[in-house]
Amino acid sequence: MSTPPTVKLTIDGVEVEVPKGTGLVEAALAAGIEIPVFCYEPRLGPPVGACRMCLCEITPGPPKPQAACTLQAADGMVVKTALTSPMAAEAQNATLEFILVNHPLDCPVCDKGGECPLQDLTFRYGPGNTRMTFPKRTFDKPIPISPLIALDRERCILCYRCTRFSEQIAEDGQLVAVNRGSETQIATFEDDPYRAPFTGNVIELCPVGALTSTTYRFEARPWEIQDVPTVCGLCPVGCNVYATTREGKVKRILSRNHPDVDGGWLCDKGRFAYQHVRAEDRLRDPLLRVRRRGFEEVSWERALDEAERLLREAEGRIVTALSGSETIEQAYALAKLLRGGLGSHAAMLPEEVSDALDGFRVPLSAIGDAKTIAVLGDAPVVERAPIVDLWIRRARRNGARVVNEPDGADILIWCGPGGDGGARVAQLAQQVGASGAFYLPETANARGVSDAWAAAADTEATNPDPIGLLIVSGDEAAANADVRALAEQAERVLVISMFHGLAAGWADLVLPGTSYLERDGTYVNLEGRVQRLRRAVIPPAPDELAWISQLAGRFGVDVSPYPTAVFEEVSAIAFGGIPFGAVGDHAELPPATQRVDQGSGPAGVRAQQFDGLHLIRYRALFSGPAVERTPELQFQRPLAEVELSAEDANARNIRPGDEVTVRSNGTSVTLRARLNRDLRAGVVRIAEEHARDLQPDVELST
Amino acid sequence: MSELYSDVQRLKETYPDWHSAMLPALREAQHKHGYLSPDALRECADALGTTPAVCEAVASFYDMFHLAPVGEHMVEVCTNVACALVGAQQVLEAFEQELGVQAGETSADGFATLRPIECLGGCGWATIVSIDHHYRTHVKPEDVPEIVQELRDGA
Amino acid sequence: MAPELVLAHARERDLTKLAEYEAVGGYQALAKAREMTPQAVIDEVQASELRGRGGAFFPTGRKWAFIPKPDQNPNPHYLVVNADESEPGSFKDNEIMATVPHRFIEGCLITAHAVEATRVFVYIRGEYTGPYEVLVGALEELQSRDDILGGVTIVLHRGAGAYICGEETALLESLEGKRGQPRTKPPFPAIEGLYRSPTVVNNVETMATIAPIIDLGGAEYAKLGVPDSRGTRVVSISGHVERPGNYEIENGTSMRSLIYDLGGGIPGGRALKAVIPGGSSTVILRYDEIDVGYDFNSLLALKTAMGSAGVVVLDDRCCMVQLGIRISEFYEHESCGKCTPCREGTRWMTQILRRLEAGDADQGELDLLLSVCDRINGKCLCPLGDTAAIAVASYVDKFRGEFQQHVDEGGCPFGDSSPLHNVLAPVAMRTHSPAAVVPA
Ligand SMILES: Cc1cc2nc3c(=O)[nH]c(=O)nc-3n(C[C@H](O)[C@H](O)[C@H](O)COP(=O)(O)O)c2cc1C
Ligand code: SF4
Ligand code: FES
Repeated sequence: MSTPPTVKLTIDGVEVEVPKGTGLVEAALAAGIEIPVFCYEPRLGPPVGACRMCLCEITPGPPKPQAACTLQAADGMVVKTALTSPMAAEAQNATLEFILVNHPLDCPVCDKGGECPLQDLTFRYGPGNTRMTFPKRTFDKPIPISPLIALDRERCILCYRCTRFSEQIAEDGQLVAVNRGSETQIATFEDDPYRAPFTGNVIELCPVGALTSTTYRFEARPWEIQDVPTVCGLCPVGCNVYATTREGKVKRILSRNHPDVDGGWLCDKGRFAYQHVRAEDRLRDPLLRVRRRGFEEVSWERALDEAERLLREAEGRIVTALSGSETIEQAYALAKLLRGGLGSHAAMLPEEVSDALDGFRVPLSAIGDAKTIAVLGDAPVVERAPIVDLWIRRARRNGARVVNEPDGADILIWCGPGGDGGARVAQLAQQVGASGAFYLPETANARGVSDAWAAAADTEATNPDPIGLLIVSGDEAAANADVRALAEQAERVLVISMFHGLAAGWADLVLPGTSYLERDGTYVNLEGRVQRLRRAVIPPAPDELAWISQLAGRFGVDVSPYPTAVFEEVSAIAFGGIPFGAVGDHAELPPATQRVDQGSGPAGVRAQQFDGLHLIRYRALFSGPAVERTPELQFQRPLAEVELSAEDANARNIRPGDEVTVRSNGTSVTLRARLNRDLRAGVVRIAEEHARDLQPDVELST
Repeated sequence: MSELYSDVQRLKETYPDWHSAMLPALREAQHKHGYLSPDALRECADALGTTPAVCEAVASFYDMFHLAPVGEHMVEVCTNVACALVGAQQVLEAFEQELGVQAGETSADGFATLRPIECLGGCGWATIVSIDHHYRTHVKPEDVPEIVQELRDGA
Repeated sequence: MAPELVLAHARERDLTKLAEYEAVGGYQALAKAREMTPQAVIDEVQASELRGRGGAFFPTGRKWAFIPKPDQNPNPHYLVVNADESEPGSFKDNEIMATVPHRFIEGCLITAHAVEATRVFVYIRGEYTGPYEVLVGALEELQSRDDILGGVTIVLHRGAGAYICGEETALLESLEGKRGQPRTKPPFPAIEGLYRSPTVVNNVETMATIAPIIDLGGAEYAKLGVPDSRGTRVVSISGHVERPGNYEIENGTSMRSLIYDLGGGIPGGRALKAVIPGGSSTVILRYDEIDVGYDFNSLLALKTAMGSAGVVVLDDRCCMVQLGIRISEFYEHESCGKCTPCREGTRWMTQILRRLEAGDADQGELDLLLSVCDRINGKCLCPLGDTAAIAVASYVDKFRGEFQQHVDEGGCPFGDSSPLHNVLAPVAMRTHSPAAVVPA
């Protein structure tokens, strides 16, 4: 690989050499010099040069200040910032004066205060006084643009970051600028809420206090908070985040930009669902079933005695149902106790993820640079691994083709049924010679959990009959219908759950679970990247690892209560022995492994052909225990819609927005039609909660 | 609905990139609905394959699109410098008189909307008055009653 | 009196009819051009030293030469004609399209040949129903004439009322169905224009001048006019003159003769006070500055320009503060709102000017006005804001005494004797999204 050509330029007298194509703002940074900006945000695509904060004196060029953010470094260029050029200083000062002319300066009551670029830049480059003696432009404020976001139009400096995000990154076309000139304002349509998967990002993008989070408003001052670097535990992407805490409570979630994983964006679930941690119905103490009187709260000592009793009485006839949201350490500890200690190998794993994928392991960011992307499996990517959808959109903006047949694709993504844990997509990747393949599991750490479980022993599991004890680890498992069915057959049931109610009725012992925001440990995301969770807040009950270790002790099984120690142990077996510390804050992706020949496998990618339309029911992004416990997210719950391809729509002359009836033998549901260009003909999609008991084989009519 | 929908599909054909059909589509929608009501914008968005918010963002940028109801007739008096120099303000006031409406507003009976407008590109034939988007040139205050009468007869 | 080229025969014949136009030699230049290689046509236009008639006065041939050759950039080339004429004082394109549509179309077709484009988009301002219908008629007549169209499609795209869409990159945004906000340059349209493809943007009059140039030959055309301002130009004369209208002049004709010979002088025996030489965006000239050639260099010497050739004549009744208000209101209304200095600055300028006119301003505010203009000028994304500041500052600069009087006498010395008194400007339109509340 040859080193890219570089250019030499001078900034405020400092000579710097940067790669060709480097923007002036970055070039200046390389020289340790600040070029102040507001509208400039490279992640939003090409610069727009709107705010004029970055005006500098630049030669060669016209004899007037130039918007540095719109220019690239060139050989022999001489750039003078406000530091060395009176012209630039005057221009930047002028820009700030104009920005402030109609700004309310209500900083004392502004959430942005203390972490506000407008405050900082005014402090450094702005006028000390105001020459504005006219009534300022005022608006109704703040107005909610959704239950999540409040808009203060008086503070808005019209940098168009938010609208560019909506238009060009999320491509949701919801948040726009309306009117013209000094009447311009940010708005949604009518009083529609800004309803889309990624809306919260505009809060972080806004350089002033114009867009603020309704869940964070007036919650804290910047100097009272700590930002804990951790990883989101709500989907298999594992976006890197900061959990902002104050007085032991999570107050907000911010992006911690991992350029290869999330590119600095978060979905609204990851950003706002943190409130589940303090939900009303959060379990704090163990619950024990006592004869007719239902459940009673018991001490941990008592709970562990009961757990020990249940384990002993089962005499090894134990089945463990895992959620896929456990940390590697929890899963391994559990496995060590049950498999190593009690010889109970039977488990229901969330989802087995095939190692064959590792031969095609590439970072998520590789999707953004792909030429042709095949999205297979028919389930909606955005609902399962939202950020992946943003990478696909980015690729398309760069001219990539997005198809749903594998042939000719350099990146394959499998989302939905029939994927066989990724084995299928790895196989196809090999057949078509793709460079990368992704399989999107349903849970955040499905991979880590199955690896950890496997690491504890290699004895074949034999399903006990009858089942003496069913251990249900976590709420996903507790909500799973198959697990419920199994519970029917089990003599005893032990459930680990965060919330009241989920286990009520069918458990004998319920132990409080913890949230990813309360844990130390590691997750493996869908790329196969081992990432570090950090405890942001103390859980209301001892975390799983702590009591599992105690319980294991009672069976003479040695399980450390410290994630560090447990990880080193499992890592030695399953993760190439990387030490806990080495996981790091921006985890590396292990290199792709040697590709093992997959054989050719069945031709085509379709699990099954249907004569009618094939219904894909999917678990919506905005569903599940965490979302259910976040009131502000309820408006994001899936609409009563059916997605179909333009082809199928035309065939039945269905237009967007039409009321259509979806029929399958016996049942029928009426839903609003939504066309989706990316959906292949023959497939329709409906969110679980609207699909009722429709069968996979459906017909549509207006 | 269906009518606008198919017209818009046709408009999309005229351009290498369908986005270019936005202005013509909004024009059609306004023509059909009288003004760009929320429903008109929704309909337009569905036909174009975009969102109502995007349609409103574009429509609200241009003076010829009306996001609030307007009268049956649109009377626009150029009050930019060239016309003002030869008495555009007096012409505007004459229309206020005849139509019984404040400049910038719509007459109570919904007969006409009167508004001053920026240079119409007819400075040499001042004062320019655009009536339902057809220019009247050399308009003097004394011509206004006749013009309004014509409008009323026509209507 | 210069030969009429652009408007030739338009007075005596109805050149909107194809037959009439062909009868006066119409579309022969096109045939001639198609005999030539594209490069040869470009060379011919460069030889003519033609410069754009839209305002920026950029050499037309050179602009065409920037278009990458198909082998450099596979994307299709586009010709986009700027027919958005909205500059106060300018109404020439209106008459050109309405009276010599075929000469205009012929120019488009020759240009399309020169820059190897098969699609032409004419972005015509939405208010121009008349010219639009004339062009529709002309194109209908050409439907059956493949010998003329030669496989080129011409699409008439109607604007919707926004002065900024005359700025070429804003025009392209608007043509792409977006809000008409200017793009940053580079990249220039010739490299990355419509649909990010190489695009030539030219003014209507520029197009209407191409056929005559091919007829005469570039060198011949270049004999007309003066250095750097060759050939003829259609000048729009309006305001306080006896005979307002469009006149095709030879570049270099004196401003005095525009006002007094062509325009027929100031009505009612009044005295000339000032003249806006090239549309509202240009620096104003005082009554004693009109012995100047109407050409690029002569006007440059007075720090002004031909702009879009809109000559607006003001007599001695006019109040310059009132003029400032109305012009400032125009730019405030038309500012696209993208860049800060233009959006906030033009609004502030209007506020200060109104206060001056009302007589509530003190000395400080007169200086503030100039300071605000100075802080806008040169800082904006596109020339709209810059020119607003330059124009208004020039009124103060050239009529300082009068502005001072407004401060000293605590009011307007002209009041309603000035025709610009209390002229109502358009009220900013708002959507039904929660609207601003402006304090009383
Ligand atoms: C604010 C603004 C408004 C403009 N309006 C027009 C216009 O109405 N018509 C026009 O031809 N050029 C207009 N221009 C100039 C165009 O940007 C562009 O230079 C011109 O169309 C190029 O054509 P030409 O080279 O043939 O002159 C305007 C420029 C600015 C900055
Ligand atoms: S709301 Fe914030 S991000 Fe959006 S334009 Fe205004 S200042 Fe910029
Ligand atoms: S940062 Fe350069 S113009 Fe906004």
